[in-house]
Amino acid sequence: MTPSRRETLQWMMAAAALPLARWSPPAMAAGQNTTAPFDVVDWPEVLPPPPARGYGRDPDLMTPKVPWPLTLSNKQRATVDLLGDLILPADERSPGAGTLGVGAFVDEWISAPYPIQRADRALLIGGLIWLDAQSRALHGATFDAIAPSQRDGLLDALVVAAPVVRMAKPVAFMDTLRHLFVLGFYSLPEGKADMGFIGDQPTPGDYPGPSEEALAHLAQVLDHLGLASS
Amino acid sequence: MTSGAIDAAEGVADVVIVGSGAAGGMAAYSLTKAGLRCLLLEAGRDYDPQAEVNMTAPESDAPLRGAATPDKPFGYFDATVGGGWQVDGEPYTMREGTDFRWYRSRMLGGRTNHWGRHVPRWGPYDFKPFSRDGLGVDWPIGYDDIAPFYDRVERMIGVNGGRIELENHPDSPPGCLMPPPKPRIPEMLLKAACESLGIPVRPAHTAVLTRDMPDDVAPRAACFNATPCTRGCPIGAMFQTTTSFLPMAKATGRLTVVTDAMVARVVMASANRAAGVEYVDRKTGARHQVKSRVVVLAAGTCETTRLLLNSGGSERPGGLANYSGQLGRNLTDSTGASFRAHIPELADRPRYNEDGIGGQHMYIPFWLYQQQKRGELDFPRGYHFELGGRFGIPPAAALPRVWGKGLKQAVRSASGASIAMVLRGEMIPNKDTYCEIDPGVKDRFGIPVLRFAFRWSQHEINQVAHGRRTAHAVFKRMNGTILDPELPPEKLITAGGEIIHELGTARMGADARSSVVDSYGQTWDVDNLVLMDGAIFASGAHKNPTLTILALALRASEQLAARFKSGAFA
Repeated sequence: MTPSRRETLQWMMAAAALPLARWSPPAMAAGQNTTAPFDVVDWPEVLPPPPARGYGRDPDLMTPKVPWPLTLSNKQRATVDLLGDLILPADERSPGAGTLGVGAFVDEWISAPYPIQRADRALLIGGLIWLDAQSRALHGATFDAIAPSQRDGLLDALVVAAPVVRMAKPVAFMDTLRHLFVLGFYSLPEGKADMGFIGDQPTPGDYPGPSEEALAHLAQVLDHLGLASS
Repeated sequence: MTSGAIDAAEGVADVVIVGSGAAGGMAAYSLTKAGLRCLLLEAGRDYDPQAEVNMTAPESDAPLRGAATPDKPFGYFDATVGGGWQVDGEPYTMREGTDFRWYRSRMLGGRTNHWGRHVPRWGPYDFKPFSRDGLGVDWPIGYDDIAPFYDRVERMIGVNGGRIELENHPDSPPGCLMPPPKPRIPEMLLKAACESLGIPVRPAHTAVLTRDMPDDVAPRAACFNATPCTRGCPIGAMFQTTTSFLPMAKATGRLTVVTDAMVARVVMASANRAAGVEYVDRKTGARHQVKSRVVVLAAGTCETTRLLLNSGGSERPGGLANYSGQLGRNLTDSTGASFRAHIPELADRPRYNEDGIGGQHMYIPFWLYQQQKRGELDFPRGYHFELGGRFGIPPAAALPRVWGKGLKQAVRSASGASIAMVLRGEMIPNKDTYCEIDPGVKDRFGIPVLRFAFRWSQHEINQVAHGRRTAHAVFKRMNGTILDPELPPEKLITAGGEIIHELGTARMGADARSSVVDSYGQTWDVDNLVLMDGAIFASGAHKNPTLTILALALRASEQLAARFKSGAFA
């Protein structure tokens, strides 16, 4: 499926109040940087997933269930939660994504028997193994046991725009992690509240339309852009 | 199976109707109201929106947060049962080089339980395309023939919308439309930006009630401005046959509905007279024949066509009602392409409830008919833009590649700052686009399956390229950052069938030589065989087809009832 087709479907889904769009990360130009941030360890082989069944074409919508078995070990799930609290950390508006259990969502996602999720599974499990191996090579301990500043250094290396070839997979791993954390966190009530989302409330009668504050802001925008309101 | 006026195995119905979607639902409603005893056969299972729609659950209750999967292509809670782009055990195939998608459900109400709800009227040009540009064929009827039925259908199904006042976009007479909802902020910004470029933005016509619609049998409530329409609508605000036509038709006591009844072929009494249909019970695999005075096919464009192609027997190897050779040909879908931008001016904008009536409140109708007529455009047929842009999780492309507090701030800031312009355009029939019976493949009931051939022509490619230039000009006028990948237009355009507007494979016309049916859907070859779905369209227009399917089905049903009254089927 090309991105454009996928996005057409996304748009159809956007009829929902909170569109759960498929992530399409900015393009990466691998190989443009000539030096790696550190001596990069090998990307691991990941075993193919065991066969599993999806929920089928006529699942019970009133009592949703996840029918497939989960994948991650307790230690792996704890590492994902740790990453969740680093990548979407607690602040004055909301808790960290790991504290809200984003590791469980990631486990559900990468264990699903569908093509997008199977592709993400290979990156995620490979990435978790790689992260611990890289952490050991640099700092002598797995990612969960190294110092906060050492973790920061590793994560910083995973958000560069133009990684060296050996870093392309680790950076793609980080892109996928960020995508899943954003999806997993902001689809929860706490995440919606963080965004200030207002909706999902039956409002009988005519749709009230934008608030006075929103209209005043629009007037400013139109003024900045030199547009007449209509 | 529900109770009704006919014992399916023993009696002879006045009319057997195949399919319970827009066309079949309208036929059942109109014909039973006219006093005819109808037997409706639906391939899918029984379906009750009141019991089965999880209207208010958050997406976080669903597996994968409700994300689209091959099992549920529009998300977990979407009202598609038993199907999607594939139906288990019921494949379709493609000619080499074809990429075609066929969306099917297997449920009572068919694809009205999940649909786009955008119901523009077609205009005079849309029924006479050949006269305007020499491509395709004209319809045997014009706007004036269909307008009274548009008036009635808008009132029957409940449509909200405003005035458009543009060439080839006829306005409804007073009393047809319910008031449209107020526009949202992104729609107001789009309107200002578009109008500064000479592009109109108008209230959309949408099949969602903004006023209650009382009825003794199937009362429907006005939209309460929440919950995604594509899950289905237990309060009946969105039109779907399962909350309107079907219960109303049942209440006459003259409708029998049989679900899980996969019709395999039309059974003939003589060379030009149908005797009924044969169907397979999907649960048991048993075959049954039912008799009727008239057979109405409303199974959906391609399924109706497949039925006819499979009903020819040894005497008519080209299929039933195919004297013209047009059956299966002239297949079209709408063109589709999506354009998106991040609008920095909308970052951090004030929050308010933007749910509204679900989909778009405003859209961009085609506005370049004069330029097209003067030959100033390199594509002959129009398109429109459906508009998107709401609070929610921002698209990844609008977020910087950062982690930590900066990522949280970026999500807050970008929420509600993306705008989408989604193109839907007219495709012109071409000789390389059709469906036929695959000589080697059968479904799990032993019924031969469809094989598709599909190709966009340069007309459609140029149209989509023009749409992209237009959308990007609008985005730039708003100082937007375009998020679309750089793709050539032939890669930008959707796959055939992907917009789910299949039309034209048993087209109507003025004579038996060039068409399959007359303007009332009556097949030229078989006196008592009537087609009522999108198969009978003579062209596709760029405007969503469901309102026109309903209007044609109403017109055809009333003609059919009049023929019964005059003793044509005694």
